[in-house]
Amino acid sequence: MEGFKEWKKQAEQWSSQALQQWKKQAEPLWSQAHEYIQQVPPTQIYAALAILLVTSVLLLLGRLFKRQKANTILLSGLNGSGKTVLFYQLRDGSAHQGTVTSMEPNEGTFVLNSEKSKNGKLKPVHLVDVPGHSRLRPKLDEFLPQAAGIVFVVDALEFLPNLRAASEYLYDLLTKASVVKKKIPILILCNKTDKVTAHSKEFIRKQLEKEIDKLRASRSAISTADIANDFTLGVLGEPFSFTQCQNKVAVAEGAGIIGEVAEVERFIRDHVKS
Amino acid sequence: MLEQLLIFTRGGLILWTCKELGNALKGSPIDTLIRSCLLEERSGAASYDYTAPGAAYTLKWTFHNELGLVFVAVYQKILHLLYVDDLLAMVKQSFAEIYDPKRTVYDDFDETFRQLRKEAEARAEELKKSKQVGKPVSNSRKQGQVQKAGLGGDKKSNEGGLASDGGDGNAVKGRKLENGISNGNHVVSKESNVVGTANGKENTSSNLGAFDVNKLKSRSKVGKKTEKTASLDRKGSKAEPIKKITKKNRVWDDSPQESRESKLDFTDTVGENEDNNIEVVAADHGESMMDRDEDYSSESEAEEEEEVGKQSKPDSKKKGWFSSMFQSIAGKANLERSDLEPALKALKDRLMTKNVAEEIAEKLCESVAASLEGKKLGSFTRISSTVQGAMEEALVRILTPRRSIDILRDVHAAKEQGKPYVVVFVGVNGVGKSTNLAKVAYWLQQHQVSVMMAACDTFRSGAVEQLRTHARRLQIPIFEKGYEKDPAVVAKEAIQEAKPNGSDVVLVDTAGRMQDNEPLMRALSKLIYINNPDLVLFVGEALVGNDAVDQLSKFNQKLGDLSPSPNPRLIDGILLTKFDTIDDKVGAALSMVYISGAPVMFVGCGQSYTDLKKLNVKSIVKTLLK
Repeated sequence: MEGFKEWKKQAEQWSSQALQQWKKQAEPLWSQAHEYIQQVPPTQIYAALAILLVTSVLLLLGRLFKRQKANTILLSGLNGSGKTVLFYQLRDGSAHQGTVTSMEPNEGTFVLNSEKSKNGKLKPVHLVDVPGHSRLRPKLDEFLPQAAGIVFVVDALEFLPNLRAASEYLYDLLTKASVVKKKIPILILCNKTDKVTAHSKEFIRKQLEKEIDKLRASRSAISTADIANDFTLGVLGEPFSFTQCQNKVAVAEGAGIIGEVAEVERFIRDHVKS
Repeated sequence: MLEQLLIFTRGGLILWTCKELGNALKGSPIDTLIRSCLLEERSGAASYDYTAPGAAYTLKWTFHNELGLVFVAVYQKILHLLYVDDLLAMVKQSFAEIYDPKRTVYDDFDETFRQLRKEAEARAEELKKSKQVGKPVSNSRKQGQVQKAGLGGDKKSNEGGLASDGGDGNAVKGRKLENGISNGNHVVSKESNVVGTANGKENTSSNLGAFDVNKLKSRSKVGKKTEKTASLDRKGSKAEPIKKITKKNRVWDDSPQESRESKLDFTDTVGENEDNNIEVVAADHGESMMDRDEDYSSESEAEEEEEVGKQSKPDSKKKGWFSSMFQSIAGKANLERSDLEPALKALKDRLMTKNVAEEIAEKLCESVAASLEGKKLGSFTRISSTVQGAMEEALVRILTPRRSIDILRDVHAAKEQGKPYVVVFVGVNGVGKSTNLAKVAYWLQQHQVSVMMAACDTFRSGAVEQLRTHARRLQIPIFEKGYEKDPAVVAKEAIQEAKPNGSDVVLVDTAGRMQDNEPLMRALSKLIYINNPDLVLFVGEALVGNDAVDQLSKFNQKLGDLSPSPNPRLIDGILLTKFDTIDDKVGAALSMVYISGAPVMFVGCGQSYTDLKKLNVKSIVKTLLK
């Protein structure tokens, strides 16, 4: 305690000394500046000040605007899994007349359809539906930096034929640097559960974990730079499970086509605070 | 009969379908169209044929780029519907008027569509009738048109083939027709002749989208001539800067240098009795380059951009400094074909100097133009940079593999099933099949995968010995049966041998063959049919230019045609060899991937076992566009 006080005193003394020195040095400069300012016509000074103000305000606004973008939720998954339907369900509450393979991302900032009737101010969500076609996947990286959450849509009906492709995509997603570092939560949505033959979410989770475990063996354990994945997943020596991920990974069920998207909405609201 | 007409956004939401037609389409032609045609940068083509069990459709489409809409018409393949193009254009025009991004239901369009369709059908009907009546007249008419084209060749003379495309759209069509992409070729020509006679007036005929093929041909020839001269001019001015940059940016072989020198030389160890003396090099080669991180130097990126800017300056300077300045600030209203043309031509030339096959450069530019036409140009952007951006996106899309190229993963999957993973290397003579087979073997071995080689080149003398030498160096078992044996049988026995051997992967080396040599291609097709390999790897050299297209497409075609099975195996992947020898002429990679749709799985880039890489899409695209 004693030592600390003494140290503090010393520091104060030192700083006051330094300050005085500074002041002495600054005085001539200050007077010079004063003279110079008086020489310049006042209109020019005002103009300069105005420009300074405008730019700083603009910069501030830009900052604010950027911060707002953390309300982005990404919809990803293989093509044909039902992302675009989900997108329009969340936006309009209807799938309209069906969808075809997307060629461009669907983007929109809106208040969720189910919350429109609610009172009170709700923060709009910026929802992006990234096409699932593998040629268009690089687009995902454009949106990742702003993402507050990712919904990974899996087709529960045609699950097994697509299992490997889906888990590869999920693996890539889970090992992306921006996802791991920012701990972006991921919701694995088993879509199309309104159909009778759809697989249960427990089954899907287990299968995905198994596949990712194999992927981990083939990708990270042996080859270091084969792929652009930046992080290794899970705990080595243990079978992989989603609980080992640093970011939260949840599994949910839903059916986009009939509007059963409550769990997605909950996920979105959990991560985009209203 | 028209089966279906859809209007959807590029995002994938269907805005309107014709409920009246209401026929449920068999299979999913639209999704297939998008996946295998529009997303593969083939949207410059005229039509797409979809076949599925119980269905055979032809699809035609048109884009409205400003609004981001796609219009697709589906009809039975056996019917040659003449009015589809016409109808699509009309639908596009009238739908664009009522389109509102916020609206998603367009029930009122039903009525409009009914009218449009009636109109189009009536016109088609008229065509048929007049075809029977007025042929001689049509000829004279046609001649008149040809003469006119020869004299004027002006864009305005046949405006409006597609409502919004303007004259240049027609020119494009003409070129397309000339290329003979679809069977629509002669159909359209008929249509145009007849229309001309039926409605005496020039105006109506052009409104119908009737164009005379001869006229277009002659015109496009003229166009090509000017194109050529223009490109020559540009080449003269451009050759210098391009060379300058390329020298700096060579990135292909930066890392291997240190390790290579010491390991290149093996010859001294091979003494007289080679059986004992051959050095075993399995373990001491260091990592294969497949596993090495490549730190691509992005040092000169800024510089490069500057250069690009310089290059495109001459284009904009022509128009006069002030107007171009004004345009760049205000942003141009809508991009038209004529605006894009110079930039596209420059881009095409640039691609061709990078050894991209001409046909492919042409198609790519076509597709990029189709995606840009009608778009708004943002303020402070130049057309050339917009085109460049679009092209870059397209290139990345093409080169990004469609399927997973993680061979190790597949090997493990096959291992679990208790089957050996079979890779067949095919290709023309002297591209380096055996050498790169050894490299792949080395790479697999590094990953604790037990490999076996099968010497199925029973044709060229010395081939088996060559492979045997590689096998001994790498200490890999080799299956050989000498020469003059049926390679298909040798491969079969090798695969059977692999199981008791405990080998996970069998690498099958085949004899090099020219794509036109039918007996040899038949033998290859048989080999693939009998052994059903997991991967058919086409080995192609990066030095090849226009021939790449021929090689790959013929290989694919022959493998398909000559195979006894109803759904034959085609080429699954490409191994690009001699990549270290081509400097910046990386176009072969693009040509091959575009023509076959198969991804580049490996890149051979040197002489030693470690010189095997993965394709770096970003750097390829950068090199192609610089």
